[in-house]
Amino acid sequence: MFLTRSEYDRGVNTFSPEGRLFQVEYAIEAIKLGSTTVGIRTPEGVVLAVEKRVQSPLLESSSIEKIMEIDTHLGCAMSGLTADARTMIDHARVTAQNHAFTYDEKIKVESVTQAVCDLALRFGESVHDEEAMMSRPFGVALLIAGVDELGPQLYHTDPSGTFMRYDAKAIGSGSEAAQSELQDKWHKQMTLLEAQKLTLRVLKQVMEEKLDHHNVQLAQVTPQKGFEILDEVQLKEIIDAM
Amino acid sequence: MPDMASLAHPQQRAFNPYTENGGTILAIAGADFSVIAGDTRQSEGYSIQTRYAPKVFRLTDRAVLAVNGFAADGNMFVKKVKQRLEWYRHAHAKDMPLRAIARLIQTMLYARRFFPYYVYNILGGIEEDGTGAVYSFDPVGSYEREACRAAGAAQSLVQPFLDNQIYFKNQVPAPGTSHPAHLPLPTVLSIVIDSFTSATERHIEVGDGLEIYIVLAKGRTLHGTESIGGMQELTTTDDGERVFVVRRDLKKD
Amino acid sequence: MNSILQRYSGSSAGGRLSKSVVEDDSDFSDAMWGSEAGFGTLAKGVPGFVVPSVPDPAAFLRLHTDDHADPSCRIKIQHGTTTLAFRFQGGVIVAVDSRATAGSYVASGTVKKVIEINPYLLGTMAGGAADCQYWETYLGMHCRLHELRNRERISVSAASKYLSNLVYSYKGMGLSMGTMICGWDKTGPAVFYVDSDGTRLKGDLFSVGSGSTFAYGVLDQGYRWDLTDEEAQELGRRSIYAAGHRDAFSGNSCNLYHVKEDGWKFIGNYDITKLHYEGPGNVAGSPGHGYGYDLRVEGRSSANPPEVAAQA
Repeated sequence: MFLTRSEYDRGVNTFSPEGRLFQVEYAIEAIKLGSTTVGIRTPEGVVLAVEKRVQSPLLESSSIEKIMEIDTHLGCAMSGLTADARTMIDHARVTAQNHAFTYDEKIKVESVTQAVCDLALRFGESVHDEEAMMSRPFGVALLIAGVDELGPQLYHTDPSGTFMRYDAKAIGSGSEAAQSELQDKWHKQMTLLEAQKLTLRVLKQVMEEKLDHHNVQLAQVTPQKGFEILDEVQLKEIIDAM
Repeated sequence: MPDMASLAHPQQRAFNPYTENGGTILAIAGADFSVIAGDTRQSEGYSIQTRYAPKVFRLTDRAVLAVNGFAADGNMFVKKVKQRLEWYRHAHAKDMPLRAIARLIQTMLYARRFFPYYVYNILGGIEEDGTGAVYSFDPVGSYEREACRAAGAAQSLVQPFLDNQIYFKNQVPAPGTSHPAHLPLPTVLSIVIDSFTSATERHIEVGDGLEIYIVLAKGRTLHGTESIGGMQELTTTDDGERVFVVRRDLKKD
Repeated sequence: MNSILQRYSGSSAGGRLSKSVVEDDSDFSDAMWGSEAGFGTLAKGVPGFVVPSVPDPAAFLRLHTDDHADPSCRIKIQHGTTTLAFRFQGGVIVAVDSRATAGSYVASGTVKKVIEINPYLLGTMAGGAADCQYWETYLGMHCRLHELRNRERISVSAASKYLSNLVYSYKGMGLSMGTMICGWDKTGPAVFYVDSDGTRLKGDLFSVGSGSTFAYGVLDQGYRWDLTDEEAQELGRRSIYAAGHRDAFSGNSCNLYHVKEDGWKFIGNYDITKLHYEGPGNVAGSPGHGYGYDLRVEGRSSANPPEVAAQA
């Protein structure tokens, strides 16, 4: 006897007869409500840009934190339920530090991405004899940018724990339009500055508000300086150059 | 009713899981090579258990580990290090770099801080930057990168010799000259062989056989070592670092 | 069952102790699968510690490793040291020797006893070399996590307290470390003494190790708050030299560091024999001659009598 669809909706670890995990699929839907986030990889480094939705003039826009540092050579931008991302990023940070402690080297971008995805699949499960820690999938997608011995890399992770490497990727509410724009404009020999301008141009197209240095955040990871969030002065310069 | 005999003679028992199996190991780093060597005698007290028990192990194409102290602990430790290297290779799709192996060995030794492995480790190989390196460890994991190190039964015989020959301690260079920073491979090999023949003469726990591992940086050759025969290559991958082993006899008395 | 084992196998603040060696591969935590890529569970930090299944693990460890109790014991852990650190107007001076001894054997003369926790925190090493190296590296990892999570550097006080709490959770298990955590934070230059007994002291001036009494002798004589950078560095060198000269367990060379507002700087490595005969060479604060008193008794002591007397 098949359960009705609504009943398959409930369990996070029960497949529907069609072979679907509805809760995971719904989690992926949650990202489409999130603010648009763009990442571009170039030979000179990786650029991340996010739209900050300033819902109220009373909101302190600098307190919206959608790009975070994982380690000196790793950064991360998020879209979806950003509260969930904090757990994941803390896990990534601990993993990166543990790796540095055990192996005296920087963790690879792919390895840290893998570690985050391991965590994404831990819903509905208990760790050893401890209490189950998560009852639902994470409702957030991440763009993980980093530089390691293989050069600058950009990874995308989603709530199903799948990760893929991209040259350029957009996530969030405006992702469809943004992704096709990236597909048009991205080319192999992009400079970092071109990538910075492209991320902002893409964001500008999908944002409802007029883009300025308050409602976007830009970060980059370069082989020379590692991860850095661009300050308002730098951001303004790029906006003006756009 | 207690046994009166045992009450009359109180007995103390202690958990004693360690023994000392003798032998000596040493390693010397050159500019673009590293030499790691050990004798093959294993003894307990004054009895020789075997004349061929390897103490030096190839870990990767650029890392060789020498282990001395309690043989059972040593063999188990090497086994676990190799297991960790394998896991790392699966997880990160590359061989573990030398300095990473050094740190890993520290954490593995320290995990047994309260029940130590009775082993002295010397790790030799090639760093990511292509330089030869030697790392030495104490039984609970304190470690240091050095140019040369001897450990084991004849440590106190061999190390002063290396201090003089490798670090040029107590040597004054001829006027207008200076000591070389790194010695060439043929010189290092003859220092290693001399160290072991001398240690065999003066230490009862050293002898039988000598295994010398040579790790070469990418692109460097064995040029100049033709006089040392029986060189066997153990390298598993192309166009990277290369590992060789030479097996020689030491006196068996 | 024994009480210590139960106490420490529970939820101790620091690391985790595995109950016994018979447990299947208990010394391999899942975190060891290298960043757990694809296989692991959640990273927890320190791997579990293996403890022998005997009634008193601490006594077991003491029996096999403590070379003061029994010089013939098998596992010789490196000991013996002189380390010092002091606060002054221009920051913190950290100076140490570089000798490691196992029993009476000089196991190494090139030990780095200053542990560079991060660019603005230094720790010194006295007691068990591995204990200091391991836990101070571990502390470095946590300082970095603190920085990532709180978007500001950890204070010297907090860092030292973290270490102090950590080693206190292993109290009685046989750890041996006497360390000074030195750095510069919002409060200015800071030095904290932390040891494996659980002591944690804030202070201006400390010296730790077998040669500390000799170092204190020189240090206390020359210490002032308004020392110039050059004077302070020279005082550090001179104090370590004194300890290296009089303490058999200290010597070989002196490593000198200076912590300023923008982080620490390595000043130099000085051979102690050279300091005795020639002095530190052409460096700031150098007296321009050897520290040894031979110079001051030239021609007047019985070892090298005045030339006239020698001729007679």
